[in-house]
Amino acid sequence: MRVYVQEDVCQGHTLCCMTAPEVFGLRDEDGHGFVKVTEFTPEVMEAAKRAAANCPEQAIVIEE
Amino acid sequence: MTERVVVDFDHHSKEYREHGMEIAAEARKRCPVAWSERYGGYWFVTGLDEASAFQKRPDLFSARREVGSPESVYKGIAIPFVESDYPGGFLEMDPPEQLEYRRILNPFLSPASVAKWEPLIREFTNACIDDFIEEGRGDFVQQVVNVVPAVLTMAMIGLPLGDWVVYNEPAHASIYTPPDSPDLPRVQQLTMEMVTHLYQYIAEFRQNPRPGMLKALVDAEIDGEPLPDLNIMGTLMLVIGGGFDTTTALTSNAWRWLAEHPEGKARLMAEPELWTTATEEFVRYFTPAQGTARNVTQDCEVAGYSFSKGDRLLCSFAMPNRDPRHFEDPDTIKLDRFPNRHAAFGLGTHRCIGSNVARLQFKGIMQESLKRIPEYTIDYDGLERYETIGTINGNKNMPMTFPPGKRQGPGLQAALRDWQTKLDAEDLESAGA
Repeated sequence: MRVYVQEDVCQGHTLCCMTAPEVFGLRDEDGHGFVKVTEFTPEVMEAAKRAAANCPEQAIVIEE
Repeated sequence: MTERVVVDFDHHSKEYREHGMEIAAEARKRCPVAWSERYGGYWFVTGLDEASAFQKRPDLFSARREVGSPESVYKGIAIPFVESDYPGGFLEMDPPEQLEYRRILNPFLSPASVAKWEPLIREFTNACIDDFIEEGRGDFVQQVVNVVPAVLTMAMIGLPLGDWVVYNEPAHASIYTPPDSPDLPRVQQLTMEMVTHLYQYIAEFRQNPRPGMLKALVDAEIDGEPLPDLNIMGTLMLVIGGGFDTTTALTSNAWRWLAEHPEGKARLMAEPELWTTATEEFVRYFTPAQGTARNVTQDCEVAGYSFSKGDRLLCSFAMPNRDPRHFEDPDTIKLDRFPNRHAAFGLGTHRCIGSNVARLQFKGIMQESLKRIPEYTIDYDGLERYETIGTINGNKNMPMTFPPGKRQGPGLQAALRDWQTKLDAEDLESAGA
């Protein structure tokens, strides 16, 4: 199981970090999202799925 | 491939302003990408999936305007096409050039960077309200939300705060004046005066720079070359237009909605955590920037539709934001709507660069205003929406009455002086003085 942000699809809407700040961070240079956790617990996956559903660019990939 | 569906549609018309979302619903049922015969003919998009597909292909759907070549297919982001000798900033560029310009401004606009402006937003909202709260009447647009976003934009660029008045009328009027208005020459003249003022200021600024976006633009190099003044100016005009007008539109529409929906207002005042989802919902529902045009660069087929080189396309954000395939009960404001993957800040490479400022500012202005003026009535006789909302869904005036309150401070002029002093002192400090 893992979660990642497709860098070429993300445009920096920042909603992932607003929705699940425990899972996603924002890069300093352009505000684009990245996954900041390394352990994909059920809680992390649940929060990441909420963020993925809310991403305007559909840039978040969930691999179960 | 689908047959081309022709719909009588004009995004600058009064019909669009009053019934645009109903027209969009009908058009969407027939075809989410339809054709209008107005302005030489253009496609317009009402479906979210389709809008997303087009915005993600800037190579096929270009935003670029080729200055000095009116015959070019690169006609920029306005329908109808507006010929101008001035570049429109990076909103009318394609990647990779567009990204070079964004890279210069991005550091000023991340959630972490914009957070430092929250005190300015809240203090100026209160200062504006102080100037009329004892009278029990005021104009929410003219006296609050035309002012705060303008002052903040000036501060972020590094322009003298008091000069906001120079840019104020042209920044709004160039947006709300329809293409066939008799007032257009006067507005164009005002805009020219603003351009000249700004141009002179850039020269002055080089001698006496201060921190902010303008310094970053003046210092920046692209491919080893400094930016031409004309492009610095195009970028500033873009930041001024985006900074002044869109937040005014969002806050004023939401202010009116709250007056008309006391139960929603009461809920927001009782549950402050609701502002996060509510902000996105107001942005979706009102979609301040209604959409932008694109220019087809080659014959192509995308999302099942065939386009010819030179076709123009109105990539609406407002109409896809009511797409029932993505938003349940799309014509209703639900303060806790989630998920809410609206397109109001755009999609793809041109995503609104100021979206984090917009969110912060919206919440700050609304919360402070509601604290000071919790009960108010909109004066509908004086309420004036933009004549065309084809570009920005805004309001020119929004007079209101309310039970008079008490001043808390000396008002706008004092706030301008205080903040200018404060910013100047910070400049000296950051310069190592």
